[in-house]
Amino acid sequence: MAPRNWALIIWAIFLIAGQATTALATRPMETLQGPFDQIISILNDPSYKAGALRAEQRDKIWEIARPIFNFKEISRRAIGRPWDNFSPQEKKQFSDVFSLFLGSTYIDKLQGKFNNEQIDFDKELVKGSKALVRTRLRRKNIEIPIDYRMHNVDGKWKIYDILLENGVSLVKNYRVQFTSILKEKTPAQLIEDLEKKLAEQNKSNSGSK
Amino acid sequence: MEKNNPIGSLTLAALLFCLLTGCASQAAKKDPSLQLQAPSPHTASTLAGDDEALTAEEEALFEEDEDVWSDEDEAQEVVQIADPIEPFNRAMFTFNDKLYTWVLRPVTLGYRTVAPEPVRIGVSNFFTNLTTPIRFANCILQGKGEAATVEISKLIFNSTFGLLGFIDLFEDFPEMQPDKEDFGQTLGQWGAGDGFYIVWPILGSSSLRDTVGLAGDSLLHPLTYMDNTAAALAIRGYERINALSFRIEDIDAAKKAAFDPYEAARNFYIQLRRSKINK
Repeated sequence: MAPRNWALIIWAIFLIAGQATTALATRPMETLQGPFDQIISILNDPSYKAGALRAEQRDKIWEIARPIFNFKEISRRAIGRPWDNFSPQEKKQFSDVFSLFLGSTYIDKLQGKFNNEQIDFDKELVKGSKALVRTRLRRKNIEIPIDYRMHNVDGKWKIYDILLENGVSLVKNYRVQFTSILKEKTPAQLIEDLEKKLAEQNKSNSGSK
Repeated sequence: MEKNNPIGSLTLAALLFCLLTGCASQAAKKDPSLQLQAPSPHTASTLAGDDEALTAEEEALFEEDEDVWSDEDEAQEVVQIADPIEPFNRAMFTFNDKLYTWVLRPVTLGYRTVAPEPVRIGVSNFFTNLTTPIRFANCILQGKGEAATVEISKLIFNSTFGLLGFIDLFEDFPEMQPDKEDFGQTLGQWGAGDGFYIVWPILGSSSLRDTVGLAGDSLLHPLTYMDNTAAALAIRGYERINALSFRIEDIDAAKKAAFDPYEAARNFYIQLRRSKINK
């Protein structure tokens, strides 16, 4: 057994080292293509069709999706200026629960109905440390342009906003909502609301099948 | 009956496609974002380095993004629209939401069980074809010659070889799917502001300008000239249900993802219209 383990460890070291060195050279579009392909194949995998494996499928997708997003930046932008009024702890709490909320909402959507939707990668635009990867989600007769705003953090390209229909920013859409909520509530209350909503969602997700 | 036509129509489609890509490829030259093939990331990095030449539209997507964190207070304000009749709008929003949850959604789900996807796509194609005059006129009014040519060519070929428009012979050619222009966008392009936000019962989010736009467009909608108004309304209702049948999951997800659904819908509408007008 022992030699085999060693082989595994060495293999892992090579893998990690390889990733670290190629990270700098990776283009924004490439950063997305791999994980997207993986997620699509998990979604199309018939072995997950059984209701009981839904949670497992969700976790697997989340594991792949999570690293390509910069949830801290997404949170900062979704809150906007009031972000400065958040304590460091509140910032962390908010971005933790907000990322889980986004993950749960959108993965649930993907799991709900995914009938051979295709993603076409059209173009990548790079400007300094920022990039825009333009894609189209294609269904049989509908095409939804989805652009990913990415930035380079320590050599890794990460998504910090998603634009639908070539110009509808999801982060901005959240900012409008949070701004209106923060007019009446404190950051702590907002976080509490978010946690409640997430709990509700998890309950309905696990109960639905 | 769909079975005996495809080969003939496909060759025709191919022929026409070759004919028409003349103008489409011109458009592509002006705007690299129209290019179809996914560029190989490797050649991109070796050839152009980091900063490829960006078109004005693309540049705007970056700039608009940077505004958000500049220090001016005004820049902090997200794209917004005046909402002087908010109480009315909120009431209508609630009404529409109930209408969706209790009537439209169940009806659409029922419809989906009896009408298989190919049928629904055919119906959707038919209505898209039927409303070509609206999009064609607005392409002309906005000086979008290539798009106008595409619209009219599609009308001619889809109405005939595409069996009254039920088949979109060009569905696999993205450059034959121009952005859908309407009179609200035309007015916007001519410089008209949004006016203010209006939520119409049944029709949903709109603005003063886009309401005028809708009225203008309806002059070019063939159903407007149907003698039997009740039947025309029924057909429009059916068109809505059919269109909704492709979007139920999207709407449900959007509702789930929102914290303040009214604010979310209003902002979504205004962002979408801005981006369409700028195209």
